[in-house]
Amino acid sequence: MFHYIMRRVLIMIPTLIVISAVIFTIIKLPPGDYLSSYIDTLRQSHEAVDEQKIAFLRAQFHLDEPAWKQYLYWVSGLIRGDLGYSALYDLPVSQVVGDKLLLTFIVSFSTIVFTWIVSFPIGVYSATHQYSLGDYGLTLLGFLGLATPNFLLALVLLYFANVKFGISIGGLMEPQYLDKPWSLAKTVSVLKHLWIPVLVIGAAGTAGMIRRLRANLLDELQKQYFVTARAKGLSPFRALIKYPLRMSLNPFIADIGALLPHVISGAAVVSVVLSLPTTGPMLLDALRSQDMYLAGSFLMFMAALTVVGVFLSDLALAWLDPRIRLEGGVTR
Amino acid sequence: MRRLLPLLAVICLSALPAAHGQGIELKETPAFEDDVKAGALSPVAARLPADPLLVRPAEPGTPGGSLHMLMSSAKDTRMMVVYGYTRLVVFTPDYRLEPDIAKSVDVESGRIFTFHLRPGHKWSDGHPFTAEDFRYWFEDVASNKKLYTAGLPEQMLVDGKPPAFEVIDPETVRYSWVKPNPLFLPALAGPDPLYIYAPTHYMRQFNAKYADEKTLDDLVKQYRVRNWSALHTKLFHPYHTDNPDLPVLDPWVLKTRPPADRFVFERNPYFHRVDPDGHQLPYIDKVDLVIADSKIIPAKTGAGESDLQARYLRFDNYTFLKDAEDHNDYTVRLWRTAPGAQLALYPNLNVEDPAWRQLNRDVRFRRALSLAVDRHEINQAIYYGLAIEGQNTVLPESPLYDPAYRSAWAAYDPKQASRLLDEIGLTKRDGSGIRLLPDGRPLEIVVENAGESTEQSDVLELIRDTWAEVGIHLFSKPSQLDIWRRRVYSGATMMSIDKGVEDGLVTADMPPDDFVPTTQAQVQWPKWGQYLETKGKSGEPVDMPDVQELQKLYKAWFNAADAVERAQLWRRILEINARNVFSIGLVASVPQPIVVSNKLHNVPEEGIFNWMPGAFFGYYHMDTFWLTPEGSNQAATALPKG
Repeated sequence: MFHYIMRRVLIMIPTLIVISAVIFTIIKLPPGDYLSSYIDTLRQSHEAVDEQKIAFLRAQFHLDEPAWKQYLYWVSGLIRGDLGYSALYDLPVSQVVGDKLLLTFIVSFSTIVFTWIVSFPIGVYSATHQYSLGDYGLTLLGFLGLATPNFLLALVLLYFANVKFGISIGGLMEPQYLDKPWSLAKTVSVLKHLWIPVLVIGAAGTAGMIRRLRANLLDELQKQYFVTARAKGLSPFRALIKYPLRMSLNPFIADIGALLPHVISGAAVVSVVLSLPTTGPMLLDALRSQDMYLAGSFLMFMAALTVVGVFLSDLALAWLDPRIRLEGGVTR
Repeated sequence: MRRLLPLLAVICLSALPAAHGQGIELKETPAFEDDVKAGALSPVAARLPADPLLVRPAEPGTPGGSLHMLMSSAKDTRMMVVYGYTRLVVFTPDYRLEPDIAKSVDVESGRIFTFHLRPGHKWSDGHPFTAEDFRYWFEDVASNKKLYTAGLPEQMLVDGKPPAFEVIDPETVRYSWVKPNPLFLPALAGPDPLYIYAPTHYMRQFNAKYADEKTLDDLVKQYRVRNWSALHTKLFHPYHTDNPDLPVLDPWVLKTRPPADRFVFERNPYFHRVDPDGHQLPYIDKVDLVIADSKIIPAKTGAGESDLQARYLRFDNYTFLKDAEDHNDYTVRLWRTAPGAQLALYPNLNVEDPAWRQLNRDVRFRRALSLAVDRHEINQAIYYGLAIEGQNTVLPESPLYDPAYRSAWAAYDPKQASRLLDEIGLTKRDGSGIRLLPDGRPLEIVVENAGESTEQSDVLELIRDTWAEVGIHLFSKPSQLDIWRRRVYSGATMMSIDKGVEDGLVTADMPPDDFVPTTQAQVQWPKWGQYLETKGKSGEPVDMPDVQELQKLYKAWFNAADAVERAQLWRRILEINARNVFSIGLVASVPQPIVVSNKLHNVPEEGIFNWMPGAFFGYYHMDTFWLTPEGSNQAATALPKG
């Protein structure tokens, strides 16, 4: 086991190096750089282009130097734990991201809890009552959530929340709480706004979860050990909880790897439509304006979380289900 | 940078004696009463300069209240500097220059500028504002190679030479050039002005010349920047206001430290303007900017979340906003806009493809394209008939206006368009009726744009139908600002759609920058502009006779003796543009919706919402806007044009 963990940790290093190179290349692929897009924005609004400031920024961000040097500047900063300096916000990246992480986490975490709370009972019900009216009805509901475009649902809910409940449009709280410290009133305001993104983002995720749980559970329900358990007189509910349900939990655990980065990235499209102060719209802005350090460092951060998340979920799976063997996969 | 030349003849700019603050009994601002009583703030008479600037608002107001506005990014805090419009000298709506922060400015033969400051004028932190602040900027900032690597700003150089700077006394500074510098005062009065002063007492702690090395090193580490010059530059952004510690002279002072989603500006206790009743301006105590995505701002405005909003509202939001007027206690006003055209098509005369370059440069082709556009239909279908149809040229309000410029080749005449295209030799057609280029390719025009609004796509959709009738196939290609610009500069784009000339309200005294090649940002001739901008290092020299003629006239304009000659040169430039149809204007004067809360007073009923000239709300003195006090049910009455 120890041997396995060490190997996995060591493999993370080349993985992250490759990811960093790919991220850097892709961000640099479009023509121009942050400054050229900054100049274009100024020109579009007919504001003066301060050659002085441009020259200064160019030196500041090493934009005149060859790409490989820029890459080394960035990566060497990352190794030292320095995420770099965002040109777009004129602040260190860590400050820009840090400011948004808490709210992003709240939104994503609530969404995940919501998805689980909804899909878990539905999945179990659909499996135990296969092909019943309830199974079809709930499955249809789940698919509707999956099929409705997120942004459309977001817009519709936004409109009704404003017209019917008087909730301010977009954002995660009423404007007056934006720069206030956390208080009861602020929490209430956040909760009032939170349900829209949670419902919208969650609706899409439930269908997948329901189907997977249902399929897994159906497999288990036909197995002999379950039939035996029932034949020995175990009550149906107890028999279900005790064995097949545990087996079918594997997909939830395997999901943790994907969940970890998801928790901090938020759902970008919905966040943009709802104007949420989360990291999704920030990343989009950073990519559009070619803010290399902000976009690159944030993506790198997410990549690292994914790699760690996959590792953790593998460990958790091994712990949960002793039948899963770790060594086999690595030594091939 | 747009430049204006209205004051070569002006000898002395000085406010009328009546406009001085003498004889007005100053009243303490209610918001500061407690602080003054507690001794934390000096009383109003000690805060104002000895000679405050008197502003006569259309309707005298009551101080207090907070104003809510929506913006789309933290960078938009600069709009408060634009709306506040406090400059050394300012433009009035009729293009005159008036002193504002400066008490007066003496100009001798257009080359010696003496600024007299207001005695007792203070920065927003209460520190005196004196000649030392000008000296610090000139000697320790602009002339420091570490801070200003490229040297002084171009508006302060005449033939590449800087002015001689003198401090006459603590309230007087002088800049003298050997030759006249017509760009200097307009640059100081721009919506994004040239700052020639800095708060010395605050900035010097970040300047290696004054600061203790050890302390400065610690600060550099604390702010996580590379060196002291980066720190100095980062903290001194009087225009892109993002540092709440920086003392300013504006009516409202930033109080929120970025990053944030809500920025609060509070009134400057030392602001130098008063109203006739003795109230210190601005009337409004606090301005709240809430940051939301620009696409959601019309919806939020319609839900009554903004007291004064124009930015990010488009004409096509008008009906929605008007509909919500009743239950959200605001009024939508329509102000005019000043661009020469809301939208114009720009055939790229520098396109790479030789066949297309030849076509785009053929005046008959451009005229045919223009004649095949049904502007009336566009106006009716998209702008409810409220816009003016015609070419991309000066607006009727401009003294240089001639109806012929606007109507040249602008009538919808598909027959004549077809005739012109036949004349060029584009007579062969393919099976679907699309004309063929001489090399056999179909006549397919890809119109590219920055992809920032659906308005452009809607208009192109209408043009596509009428162009198809004369055998031209139009494709619309929305892109992204940066990418589109790169493509235009490199000659990959054959045609673009974009806003028309920025300023359609020009007078003969403003340089005709928009109508002749001056910068690569002009998408009809990017490479010629680039050639001039880089002084021949890149781009291509102008090789079209009519455009060369434009260049000659442009040079002549700068050397013209008087306004009459300048007007003549302007007219010739406009006439050549009209005849050549370098850009195909569609409609102009599309109204800008302005949402004004019914509690907000002194916002003119009619106005021009424009960057330059205009500074948006700046020319209409936002410091005199005021809010009905809480608990009073007096409604704001709309005022006649202000």
